[in-house]
Parts: sequence; C-alpha cells; structure tokens
Amino acid sequence: MNRLHQAAILSHKPMGRGYYRIVLKAPEMASSALPGQFVMVRVSDTLDPLLARPFGISSVLSKTSLEILYRVVGRGTALLAGRDRGQTLGLLGPLGKGFPLPDKKTTPVLVAGGSGFPPLHFLAQRVGSGAHLFLGSRDKESLPPTAIVKSFRDACAKVHIATEDGSAGTKGMTTDILNAFLTKMEKKSPLVLYACGPHAMLAAVGRIAAEHSIPCYVSMEERMACGLGACMGCSIPMKSGGYKRACKEGPVFDSRDIDWSERVSVKIQGSEFKVRR
Amino acid sequence: MMIVKNKTKPDLSIDFAGIKLKNPVLTASGTFGYGEEFGEFVDLNKLGGVIVKGISLNPIKGNPPPRIWETPSGMLNAIGLENPGVDVFLNEKLPYLRKFDTAVIVNMFGYSLEEYVAVAERLNGARGISGIEVNISCPNVKAGGMAFGTDLKATFELLSAIRKTTKLPVIAKLSPNVTDVTAFAKAARDAGCDGLSLINTLLGMAIDVRCRKPRLANCTGGLSGPAIRPVAVRMVWQTAKAVSLPIIGMGGIVTGEDALEFILAGASAVAVGTANFVNPRATLDVVKGIERVMIEQGVGVLSELVGKVSVP
Ligand SMILES: Cc1cc2nc3c(=O)[nH]c(=O)nc-3n(C[C@H](O)[C@H](O)[C@H](O)COP(=O)(O)OP(=O)(O)OC[C@H]3O[C@@H](n4cnc5c(N)ncnc54)[C@H](O)[C@@H]3O)c2cc1C
Ligand SMILES: Cc1cc2nc3c(=O)[nH]c(=O)nc-3n(C[C@H](O)[C@H](O)[C@H](O)COP(=O)(O)O)c2cc1C
Ligand code: FES
Repeated sequence: MNRLHQAAILSHKPMGRGYYRIVLKAPEMASSALPGQFVMVRVSDTLDPLLARPFGISSVLSKTSLEILYRVVGRGTALLAGRDRGQTLGLLGPLGKGFPLPDKKTTPVLVAGGSGFPPLHFLAQRVGSGAHLFLGSRDKESLPPTAIVKSFRDACAKVHIATEDGSAGTKGMTTDILNAFLTKMEKKSPLVLYACGPHAMLAAVGRIAAEHSIPCYVSMEERMACGLGACMGCSIPMKSGGYKRACKEGPVFDSRDIDWSERVSVKIQGSEFKVRR
Repeated sequence: MMIVKNKTKPDLSIDFAGIKLKNPVLTASGTFGYGEEFGEFVDLNKLGGVIVKGISLNPIKGNPPPRIWETPSGMLNAIGLENPGVDVFLNEKLPYLRKFDTAVIVNMFGYSLEEYVAVAERLNGARGISGIEVNISCPNVKAGGMAFGTDLKATFELLSAIRKTTKLPVIAKLSPNVTDVTAFAKAARDAGCDGLSLINTLLGMAIDVRCRKPRLANCTGGLSGPAIRPVAVRMVWQTAKAVSLPIIGMGGIVTGEDALEFILAGASAVAVGTANFVNPRATLDVVKGIERVMIEQGVGVLSELVGKVSVP
C-alpha cells in the first residue's frame, strides 16, 4: 500500500468554535485507515515551515475520501486554513497504531478533552451505537463545533458534557461525571475506556480506569518530524523505563504502560495564533 | 569543466575510500533509521548507500521530550543518541540491509575511547558492512561526543585507536562547532582515517518567550536542514582544500542542485538528512536531480565535477 499521497481538497470550511473541517480525496487511505491513526500533512510546498503537521483522522466519509478536523493554533495550521478547495496537499498516512476495538459485549466509553475529539469521532462511528461519549472543556465555547457534537449524538448512545464554568452540561470536571458513570455502569457490562486530550486529563482518566480495573487506551501527542519511526523525536516515557515512539508504537497506548510522572516540563505547542473565523 | 556531449545516462558511480558507490547519494545518520523505516518509499538498491542511526556499545535511552523544535527552514533536535546498542543492531537491523545491493556504513559513537573501540571491534567481523562513520561530534550528550570532537588531541587519539582496531574504511564525522574545522580534518588524516563526513548539526537553542523556557527539554539541540546548507558547503570547501581525504558532504540537501553544490565544493559523496522527514523519497529525488543537471550540462562522469568550483 502506498502511504505517500497528493490529495485533492474536496471541501474546506470553518466549523465554528475555531475549528476547520477539511475533506481530502485519498482512496488508499480511506480504505485502510483505522480509528486512532493519523496523517502527516504538508501545510505548504515550501521549505518554511519545513515539517509536516500531524492530525488524527476524524472520519472516513466514503471509499475515496476522509475528513480532518483541526483548530488553528499556530503558523502551520494558519497556513493550512488558507488552502483552498481544488488544491492538493502532500499527505503521509495512515500512520501509527489505532485504538484496539472492543468486542460485542463491551461498552466503549470515549473521553475527549479540549481539542482531542477528532480521533474519537472516527472511533464513535466505527464502534456502533452502544458507545458513551464524555466531552469536557473550560466553557461552552471550547467544546467541539455544534455539528460535531450532533454527529457524536447520532453515533453514540449518549453524550455527557461537563464544563468547568457550567456554561454547558454539568459544572465541573469530566473526570467527576466519568467516575460516577463508571461506578454505576461497571455492574451492568464490561467497559473499555478510550481517551484523547490534554496530558493532565489523560493521566486522570488513566488513574480512574485503574481504580475501576477497566482497560484504558489513550492517544498521546508529541512533536513529530518524520511520522515514520525514524527520527526518534516523538518519545513518550514508559513505566518500564525508556521511551516509545508516538508515531510508531502509538499514538494510542495502554494507559498502564505510560509513565505519567515524567511530566512534560516544556509545552509541546508554539505560539498561540488569533483564530480567523 | 570538461564538457562531454553525451545524452546517454551519465555515470554517477564513485569510489569512496575504497567503497564502491553506484551513485554519490547516501542517507545521513539518524534521519533514515536503519533503512527499513523507509523501505516502502525508497528502493534501497537505487541509493549509493545507507548510513545508519548512531550505534553504541550498550542501548541508550535518549533525552526526555520534547526532543525536536522546528526553526525557519530547519529544526533543532536533542534526541540524545537513542539506539538499541550494537548487538541488537547486528542481530535485528543489519540482516534487513544485507538484502540490498547498497553500501552500508555504520555510524557509531561511545562515551569513552574504550567504548568506541569496543563497538568498532564488534562491527569488524560482521558481514555486509562497507565502512564505519565515527561520530566524534554529536552535540547532544554532555558526557559524549563533544569532548572528542572539539579537542584536537582527543580526536587524534580516538581515531588512531579505532583505525588500529578495524580493517573497514574509517570515516570521521566532524563537528562544525569548532573554530577551524580543517585542523580536525588534518588530525583525522594523521590518525589514518580513510574519509571525512561533514557537517554534523550546529549547536543551537530556541526559547518560548511566554513560558520563558527552552523549547527543548535538553535546552540546546543540533540545528539541521536547509538553514545550515551554506555553512556546510563552506566547511566542505575549506576542508577539501586543506586535506586530500574524500569527503561525504551533508547539511540541508533537498535537491540535486543542493547536492552538486557540495560536490563542486569538494565532496565525493553526499548525504541527505532532514529532507527525508519532509519527503520520504528525497534521496531518490536527489539522485534524479543530479542526473538531470549532468545531462543538461553535458557531463558524462560525476567524478569530474568533484571540487570543480571555479573561484576567482
Ligand atoms: C497524533 C496526533 C494527532 C493530532 N490530531 C489533531 C487533530 O485531529 N486536530 C487538531 O487540531 N490537532 C491535532 N493534533 C495537534 C496538531 O498536530 C497541532 O495543533 C499542529 O501541529 C500545530 O501546528 P502549528 O504550526 O499550527 O502550531 P505551532 O505551535 O506553531 O507548531 C510548532 C511546532 O510544534 C508542533 N506542535 C504544536 N502543537 C502540537 C501538538 N499538540 N502535538 C504535536 N505537535 C505539536 C508543530 O507540529 C510544529 O512542529 C494532533 C497531534 C498529534 C501528535
Ligand atoms: C533527528 C536527527 C538525528 C541525528 N542523529 C545522528 C546520529 O545518530 N549520528 C550522527 O553522526 N549524526 C546524526 N544526525 C546528524 C545528521 O546525520 C546530519 O549530519 C545533519 O543533520 C546535517 O544534515 P541535514 O541538514 O541534511 O539533516 C542527526 C540529525 C537529525 C536531524
Ligand atoms: S516522528 Fe519521527 S520517530 Fe516519531
């Protein structure tokens, strides 16, 4: 299978709340991509910015097309937002290992924090209608775009929302409502957790999963250069000592394997950009 | 420049320190894994050779993340020489490379002269290795490379000891983080090295002004990519004038034209590094690009271009 593509942009639109939706024509990728896998996107054909940007696959729309949902956070994503329908984008993927899918008896519980929802959106579409989704953010405006929340509602049994300021859903942390839900549900059916979002949230979800003895898979973010396991740039610290590569062994890991204590002292991302709507 | 009116396929082959290369394009250490990572994009038979990620006696865990940071037309890295160690390399990585008709050059390093020598000894008997490239210059590990690569006496002693240990061609990979690179090139020559590689990454740093913290957990890292190319071409040119050893030129090569700059400056071969991250097929594009310019310029044999920059 060829993983290096020039993909035509079929559609590219702002979704609200600072997000863009880009639909790409990439037949080989559409037919093989698994939830949790990602792509490296060349946001420009020049050598500055030099490196491709990693994005989760948020949906496979047809045999030939797939969708990426992204937020403008810096120079690369701002350049991407300027690319128009009809142009092509250099693309590498699908990359990494996806989420291990649950068996029929197990209820999938998805937990998305901040802008971590795109890979879980693809997962929700694949695991069937029994899934529960937990969405958490600072406030209502930091939730995923309304169309995406609706799409999650269509795909899942229930969408549970928590905001820190109470402007939408329950006031408080996702992890609080998640904990209560797990306590109630674990007597009824076997559960499995899938989480993507800020490092601190993933650590907290991993801790809750361990307390409930529920398997938990987390999708990790780290800066990437090659996406192919060659540069050793995207290291995630492991409990067993040493590192694993987010692009190759990940980005999805069993939360029990990760050394959550080796807290990243340096921010992953660069400069915050003003979001153009 | 000798002009041969010949539209047929030009001859890109080069004899580098006794290593037969079908073309001058190699992969820079640390940017191409152990070859297998790029196997789906590049037919390794089409490359002059593969220089593998640096190998040490024991496995190295590497630096804490973040390890990389993008800079204008370049990147900083502080990988910390993470690698599985020489035994895993020989048992699990080398067999894959043996399947190809391409030169395999093993980049290696150590934290003491004894460790360097021990790695060279292990590599000695192995089938399928064309040469070793000694990294005396990696700027990342405080206890490692830097001490050798920036001290003339240590460079000479280290390379002499490795020279005595192995029958394979020894290529010294020089650090650009010195005042006069030609002095180190001469030390490598005097130690009996067969060739030189330059340049390794330039020591750099980037700071997050809002957090007031370095962008890399390691604080400093090595700068690579197109941003460093003019510095690399200059150093290859100076070195080629100072010593007669063959040179593998590298630093920011993306196209055939970039590679030819190094060859005209005096390099006999080139290595493509960071460009592999931008385009996994970059090495093949460089081979084709060199060919194209040779045909356009009517150059039949690549070796005729080595060092042929005409200076006023
Ligand atoms: C596996 C994976 C999946 C991702 N999926 C999505 C997604 O579906 N939607 C989405 O909006 N974002 C996603 N991200 C984050 C996305 O890669 C960054 O937002 C993007 O790289 C920012 O680029 P920039 O030039 O705009 O920002 P800048 O901050 O200016 O970028 C500077 C450098 O840091 C890197 N960087 C910045 N933020 C991140 C980050 N969070 N993770 C990794 N590298 C970063 C950039 O790639 C670049 O090399 C994902 C990241 C990873 C690792
Ligand atoms: C991520 C990364 C890892 C590297 N690892 C090594 C290494 O293990 N040993 C070594 O001698 N050089 C290493 N280098 C240096 C490159 O081989 C090369 O000398 C340098 O990057 C300049 O070439 P470029 O600009 O084409 O990348 C590394 C470079 C990068 C970017
Ligand atoms: S991004 Fe290069 S090894 Fe993961």
